[in-house]
Amino acid sequence: MLEISHLYKKYLNSERFSVEDLSLSLQPGEIFGFLGQNGAGKSTTIKCLTGIYPFNSGKITICGYDIAKDPINAKLNMGYVPDNHSVYEKLTGREYVNYTADLYKVSKRDRNERFDKYVSQFKLTKAVDTQIKSYSHGMKQKICIIAALIHNPKLWVLDEPMMGLDHQSMAEILKRMDDHCAEGNTVFFSSHNLDLVAKICDRAAIIKDGKLQDVIDLHIKGNKETLERRFVEITATEQDKINERTLLRRG
Amino acid sequence: MNGNIRTLLRLEIKNRFSNYSLSDYKSYFKLFGTLVLTGAIIYALYWVAGLFFEMFEAGGLLYEALVLLVSLIFLFMLFTGVSSTIKVLYYKGDNEILMRYPVSGAEVFISKTLFLFLTQFVVTAIVMAPFLVAYAEVSGLGLAFYVKIPVPILFLVFITFFLSNILAIPIMHLTNRIRNKFALIIIGLAILVTAAFAVYMVLFNSMVTFMNDKEFSVFSDEMVNIIETTAKWLIPMKYFADIMVGHELYIAYPALLGILGITLAGTILVIYFLYAKTLLNNVEVEGSAFKHVTKNRCRPIFLTLMHKEFLQVFRSVNYSFQYFVLACAMPVMVFFCNNITRELGQNQVGEQISLGMSMLVMLIFATVITSFSATSTSREGDNFYHTKVAPVSIRTQLLAKFVMYLLVSVAANAVCLAVLLGTEQLEIKEGLWLFVVVQLCSVAQTLASMRMDIARPYFNLSGEGEVVNNNASTTMSVAMGFAVALSIGIVCMFLSYLGSMTTPISFLIGTFELVLDMNFMYLVVSVLTGIFFVTAVLTYTIGLKKAYNKIAK
Repeated sequence: MLEISHLYKKYLNSERFSVEDLSLSLQPGEIFGFLGQNGAGKSTTIKCLTGIYPFNSGKITICGYDIAKDPINAKLNMGYVPDNHSVYEKLTGREYVNYTADLYKVSKRDRNERFDKYVSQFKLTKAVDTQIKSYSHGMKQKICIIAALIHNPKLWVLDEPMMGLDHQSMAEILKRMDDHCAEGNTVFFSSHNLDLVAKICDRAAIIKDGKLQDVIDLHIKGNKETLERRFVEITATEQDKINERTLLRRG
Repeated sequence: MNGNIRTLLRLEIKNRFSNYSLSDYKSYFKLFGTLVLTGAIIYALYWVAGLFFEMFEAGGLLYEALVLLVSLIFLFMLFTGVSSTIKVLYYKGDNEILMRYPVSGAEVFISKTLFLFLTQFVVTAIVMAPFLVAYAEVSGLGLAFYVKIPVPILFLVFITFFLSNILAIPIMHLTNRIRNKFALIIIGLAILVTAAFAVYMVLFNSMVTFMNDKEFSVFSDEMVNIIETTAKWLIPMKYFADIMVGHELYIAYPALLGILGITLAGTILVIYFLYAKTLLNNVEVEGSAFKHVTKNRCRPIFLTLMHKEFLQVFRSVNYSFQYFVLACAMPVMVFFCNNITRELGQNQVGEQISLGMSMLVMLIFATVITSFSATSTSREGDNFYHTKVAPVSIRTQLLAKFVMYLLVSVAANAVCLAVLLGTEQLEIKEGLWLFVVVQLCSVAQTLASMRMDIARPYFNLSGEGEVVNNNASTTMSVAMGFAVALSIGIVCMFLSYLGSMTTPISFLIGTFELVLDMNFMYLVVSVLTGIFFVTAVLTYTIGLKKAYNKIAK
């Protein structure tokens, strides 16, 4: 579904790689969590695989289509929800979703069916014909999600999707992720929320300083604890490690 | 003055003039530039005002001219006063911030009111000074006039200030009510701007006629009667003029004192009963959105891209004004400019250069309108990522934007052509050639502006998601457009003049005889336009995808 091999990305005027030799392979029907602290390289990786950023070397394929060589077909198989919930605020929710549906060539029948389903699932029925600029943070996130799902993408990519959302909205999004995977699609999302990833993901990867540190299969018994331990180990600062050793010495 | 009020006032002034903090040589240079530009504008106003008064004096209407002028200034002050009051007292984002600080509402209000009053005072002085100096010179009143003017100026400042405070709340409510009726706003603005251009051009036309022969009045007897009657009924504005020239002072002073008292009382009542209430209400209303119930609708990709682009512009008063409204005013300006040029002299240069003048005016307007395309990428702001993740090529997305700009420019140019042909200012052949030249230049300008924006996008947007300041590309685009308009327009005028001579000039180059006739003019201007067009198309196309992909918003 998603193959990233030996991805390198360095920003202009930067001396170090933001993503360095990163390789990942995602299977159909799985929810894949991408864990890391702020600045670890999660968003950069996502922006490379969605075609927002060009990258220095490596290869990214989505459903077999190379994002660099055949971007249109690669993007047709992908839905993306950004971390800042940016949408065209002068449009109404319906106009925005229809705009996206047109770009992804969604038929009228599929569009009507999915639109009604998602709007009611995310409880946006009353707001959908109002300009997006009046929407709350959570509502903007939901309309982004509806727009990303309107073409029923095989790969659904979300960048920090739960940031600033209330419990109800989070539950609605998690339910949608589950349903999407149950239909044989793949969900790839970044987060720094360890509990959330441990709870819903099939597999999770940890990234630090642009390098992939570990990929953990959460179906294997005991691996949820392993994920927690590994995440703490990887993301801990030198000071944290000194403090931990001191505490251990003191018993 | 209370310490909090002083601090708030200083904050307001600092905020308003933050662009002019004198920290390095660049800021001194910027300040110097602003002062020189302001001085030049004041001098230009003084010169035009002198001509204006001379023109009216020749018709025996000097007093009426002063009344008309004071009335215009009064309306201008009222308009700017209401607009500043709404912005500073009610709309400004800092209200929300200031309300969290340990300062009272009264202190915020007083500091902002003082700022408004100071601004009103300075603006009135700057706007009125050149006109009053010109009047004193033309009327021959000299020093005696200057002694009399401070009192009416003070009356003018206070009365317009108080009136602005009274009118601000109802006007703001009206604005809130119609802020989402975009078509209505655009049509209203288009009518206003077109009418303003028409009035300006009629006045300009009279001045040009007067400059040609200062011995005769440009006003007919009927016109004199209309101006006299109008000036008589321009109440209360005529009272300011009356005090300035010492006319019917026994009516003017009591009338203005009465108006001052009434407006002051009105202001106090408005502030006491409505200020805090409106402020709180408006902070909530500011983000108001409209409801537009539609059905799901499928569109082809290209049309949906254009539709989105259109809605983004149409649903913003700022963008619509920059784009659609100026396009509406273009034919009016072209018509009047051409008319004036032809009237400059039936048998003189005017008639021969009118084609070039039409071209110059159309190109200048085309520049102003197409400069909007210099923000085509920047306007995406935080939504820029959409253009990268959409399964549509960058070229198609940019083409949709380009076609929308093209449609507006073709429509504006076509209406100009229809006006020029309809009023028989141009022949069909000339008109069609003019249309093609201007259209090619518009297309070239649009492509060049879009490419400049792709090279250096400026994603700094305001809360409403609009470009806050014009980016460097807009400035470059306007400069480039003006340079092209002037070059092609002047070449067209000059060669038309040479080509219209009874015996055209000719040169022998080897065995080839070059005749500087009208055909030569058509050829040279067409070639210049062609060069500009081809250069712009190549500059736009080469390396487009790479440059777009480099943008990392």
